[in-house]
Amino acid sequence: MENLIIEATTYTPNINFDAVNGELSISGKSYPENTFEFYKPVNEWIIKYLESTPTKNINIKLDLEYLNSSSLKAYFDMFDSFEEAQNFGKIIEVKWLYDSEDDITEETGEDFIEDFQDLNIELVVK
Amino acid sequence: MKTPKLRALIHEEGIIFSFSGLISQSLTSFMNEAVKEQLEELVEDRNTQKAIFLIIAEQLQNIMSYSSNKQVGAGQKNVSPGSLLLAYDKEKAKYYVSSSNEIIEEDKEKISQRIDLVNSMEKSELRKFLREQLRTGENKHDRGAGVGFVEMAKRSSEELIYNFEQIDGKLYFHILTYI
Repeated sequence: MENLIIEATTYTPNINFDAVNGELSISGKSYPENTFEFYKPVNEWIIKYLESTPTKNINIKLDLEYLNSSSLKAYFDMFDSFEEAQNFGKIIEVKWLYDSEDDITEETGEDFIEDFQDLNIELVVK
Repeated sequence: MKTPKLRALIHEEGIIFSFSGLISQSLTSFMNEAVKEQLEELVEDRNTQKAIFLIIAEQLQNIMSYSSNKQVGAGQKNVSPGSLLLAYDKEKAKYYVSSSNEIIEEDKEKISQRIDLVNSMEKSELRKFLREQLRTGENKHDRGAGVGFVEMAKRSSEELIYNFEQIDGKLYFHILTYI
């Protein structure tokens, strides 16, 4: 499968999905006008990739500083896909990065841990 | 108003940022960025900065999504008339974000119910409620997750203050959020 690379803008994050090595990374800010339009190809890529890749270990790195509520929805959908893949035998490791002073981003990471208990989610101070 | 007085007035009212007019996506992004820069200079506490930023992003998103008189402006872009204000309340020693826009009569009841519901919740309940809504997609619509007011309530230090006003046969929705 082709890698997925989307450059960051002032209101959308950088997407860097390396299909061969199973390294998926998203970093930056996220408050686009039409969030669903932005995340649709991203989430579709993830679903297709998780279904088709022979790679067993998948490492996800999320470094998101500003998330509006509709972007948050896109990440909940993404975590649903990760959890499903995990239940079908993939080994998924999610790293949720945050700045030590940034309680809001830390709290969002804690919410994901609580809601997706089958997933291995690690909170990492930048 | 005479120009020389403008600075004094803005200072007196604690106004940091205000805009009234046609709001488009590019303007929304610009305002978000401009406010972010101001906040980084003015507000020391990182979490307050972020809470203000997130509330502004939700209020602008609401104006873009729910204005009754959306128009197609230059370059066929969607534009919605609305007003946004970020200011500092000296008496309360708190920042606040307020916005106004015209809505349709049918949305009035829905908006009231939604805000009354989030106002009745504790912070911990809001946190749980937001997650539930995001997981089930219960209030999801074609432009957003339908959780803007939940997010605003979560980030604010007081209840969301709102009212509706009839002006020249048009219905306006005003909301004010203390951080």
